[in-house]
Amino acid sequence: MALSVFHHPSLTLPSPPPQPSPPSLRPSPSNSLQFTLPAPRPLLLLLRSSRPNRRHSSLRAGLSSAVDSPPQTSGSQPEKKLILQVRDLTAVIAESKQEILKGVNLTVYEGEVHAVMGKNGSGKSTFAKVLVGHPDYEVTGGSVVFKGQDLLEMEADERSLAGLFMSFQSPVEIPGVSNINFLRMAYNAKREKLGLPELGVFEFYAYLYPKLELVNMKTDFLDRNVNEGFSGGEKKRNEILQLAVLGAELALLDEIDSGLDVDAFQDVAKAVNGLLTPTNSVLLITHYLRLLQFIKPTCIHIMENGKIVKTGDISLAEALEKDGYEAIAKPH
Amino acid sequence: MAAIAFTPQVQRPPLSLFSTPKTPKPKTRVSLQPSSSSSSTSQLSYDPFVHQLAESLDDSLPSSSSSSSSSLQSLRDSSVQTVLSTPWPTRKDEPFRFTDTSFIKNSQITPISRPPSFPTTPDDTQFPSLDIVDGFLVNLSNLGELPNGVFVGSLLELSDETILKRVSEFLSTSSQGDLFWSINGIGAPDLTVVYVPAGCRVESPIYLRYFANEGGDIGSPKLPLSNPRVLVLVEKGGEIGVIEEFLGGDGDKAYWVNSVLEVVVGEGGKVRHSYVQNQSVNAAHIKWTSVRQESASTYELVEISTGGRLSRHNLHVQQLGPDTITELSTLHLSAGDQTQDLHSSIVLDHPRGYSRQLHKCIVSHSEGKAVFDGNVKVNRYAQQTDGGQLTRSLLLAPRATVNVKPNLQIIADDVKCSHGAAISDLEETQLFYFLARGISLEAARRALVYSFGAEVIEGLPYPWIKTKVESQIKELLEGSS
Ligand SMILES: Nc1ncnc2c1ncn2[C@@H]1O[C@H](COP(=O)(O)OP(=O)(O)OP(=O)(O)O)[C@@H](O)[C@H]1O
Ligand SMILES: [Mg+2]
Repeated sequence: MALSVFHHPSLTLPSPPPQPSPPSLRPSPSNSLQFTLPAPRPLLLLLRSSRPNRRHSSLRAGLSSAVDSPPQTSGSQPEKKLILQVRDLTAVIAESKQEILKGVNLTVYEGEVHAVMGKNGSGKSTFAKVLVGHPDYEVTGGSVVFKGQDLLEMEADERSLAGLFMSFQSPVEIPGVSNINFLRMAYNAKREKLGLPELGVFEFYAYLYPKLELVNMKTDFLDRNVNEGFSGGEKKRNEILQLAVLGAELALLDEIDSGLDVDAFQDVAKAVNGLLTPTNSVLLITHYLRLLQFIKPTCIHIMENGKIVKTGDISLAEALEKDGYEAIAKPH
Repeated sequence: MAAIAFTPQVQRPPLSLFSTPKTPKPKTRVSLQPSSSSSSTSQLSYDPFVHQLAESLDDSLPSSSSSSSSSLQSLRDSSVQTVLSTPWPTRKDEPFRFTDTSFIKNSQITPISRPPSFPTTPDDTQFPSLDIVDGFLVNLSNLGELPNGVFVGSLLELSDETILKRVSEFLSTSSQGDLFWSINGIGAPDLTVVYVPAGCRVESPIYLRYFANEGGDIGSPKLPLSNPRVLVLVEKGGEIGVIEEFLGGDGDKAYWVNSVLEVVVGEGGKVRHSYVQNQSVNAAHIKWTSVRQESASTYELVEISTGGRLSRHNLHVQQLGPDTITELSTLHLSAGDQTQDLHSSIVLDHPRGYSRQLHKCIVSHSEGKAVFDGNVKVNRYAQQTDGGQLTRSLLLAPRATVNVKPNLQIIADDVKCSHGAAISDLEETQLFYFLARGISLEAARRALVYSFGAEVIEGLPYPWIKTKVESQIKELLEGSS
């Protein structure tokens, strides 16, 4: 007969532990656990409006240069509206202060499709996440102007409401929150911003139903918790569904084509194409030529070590596909 | 403050802390004098404060000579004996190490002695329902639909000899109780009985509404005490649902509800128990749930506790035969200066038991606290037991505190058991996902905190109570953020 007495052997602590001050965890004498949350509250997101003031000056610089400088990208008409202008953007990981973005420059005009390619770890996702205000990163320099506004001064939710959308490369699961409630909360936040009344459950469903068809998603997914237990492909479709529901003037699609089977690829590519209008712009992050043949990009950027090192047309992606990154390495 | 220093030698303190009924009646039942021949240990644990309390409880009871209350009488007798050797718990006692009951002790405890006149509002469910006000069963409705042989009502009204006999078998065999259990045993003015005969499946649940009528105003030391007691007895193959709802009553009154529920589930029977506690923020709510499960029986509990300045639930589940199923889930919310405490023990003595326990608590106030001590004991003959226990705490305010002690004791060797404890703040990546879709931080926090509790709330078996609890929780969370 085995005798085993367990006293809470598996104590799982949140990972990573809340920043900046670690909570005090003291086991007390008889194997009980006392946990007291330290003051002040450790949540980074709560510490938000603490950005340096120097942004205001860079805003001016950004705006004037947007008027002064001719568009950098080929094919865009001078009268086209400027959507996004990124200048010398540098960013570090908030926790370690390690620099990931080392001076990114990029300009996107209305109706354009830009693709960003680059090796694993070159900083593509970081770039997209910094643009939408992810708390893992801190901007250390440069400027970002979105539709004439200083993007870096805006909170993440304001950026979204202003028309910037990012589909996550790996979207997080949210247990306990149903997909349809999440979508409705987001859509109603958008409506509130526009001064429109909230949509009730049934009205929202009527609005949502055609969007489901667009991404070829079954209605079962609406009652499931956000991304919980979704397959890789289902998560991608769900991201596109959110884009279809919310709309966006600039959509940053991070590897929306990765991990999809043939049918899912067709669905997603078609959905993205269907969402493209002359006034919507897209920034695609991808490793493959395939999506780019489907959604004709205005230009292709190659990112390397936190910078855009090359910009060209579709032939750049074709060369990549054929011969890898060596083929397009800088000649010198 | 307890202004009077008791010494064991003093039989009566110079001042009475407890107000007694205006017309004291002669005590005929029990001598409350500690016996002079008591052993040295009981001398040591003699607590004059408890003695006083017991005496005032005894005085408060209407003298009754009805024969059907003889089982109540023997319950009182045995409880008195226990109480006299049980001191008031302090934080030196393990079961109360993290739960401070001194504010009860320091109040002017007044046992409620008469059935109140209290206009209870009719509930809008069509369920058979019982209103228990200050421990007295005052109102029964919709009982017409109950199947033959089912008895729901006061023990004093129970005339069926066989049921009476069964009830008395269980009433006096007190088990694992503590001081509060015994205080209820002395002070319970009545016993509400829910009896389900063999093979009978009762479709609609019995809805027990507990109201608190008397209460001290803020600032007053008065703490009226009530002792509701209910016995649910389900015979072989019977099934029933029981909803216990402890309501707040008006305002922020101070009172002490010291409630006991005993559940007996016969072989192959099933009890689905919902327990919702939403009492006044100045109330002391102490509750015992003692469950005995015979072979192949099922007991399911969903508890949602949000009220009370101090809320302590003692939950004891004893397995009496093999193949039992026990599922317990609890959500505690401390959204104010309050303590929510669950002390549970599941004792498995027979083969092939299945038990699952989920405890979740949210502490969203700096002075808020949650305590969980969950013991699962898998004894020698409980082979092939499948036991699981999980506790998760969400701390949302600086200095918010939880004390959790999940604890699995396994003596059998062929068992499958798991447990875990997690304490966290909200996940930042999850919050960001909301923000990235244009949802405000406040709305995101609310949704995530709510979803944390939703897992337990979802388990409530009736939509209307689910809806009710949902809006209570949302209101409390909004108020505290
Ligand atoms: N939050 C973080 N913590 C630690 N390291 C990070 C974090 N975010 C990014 N990095 C590091 O920064 C570098 C760039 O990461 P990023 O995700 O932007 O690459 P990527 O270009 O999107 O790569 P992939 O093609 O594999 O998706 C990597 O080395 C990565 O490990
Ligand atoms: Mg990436």
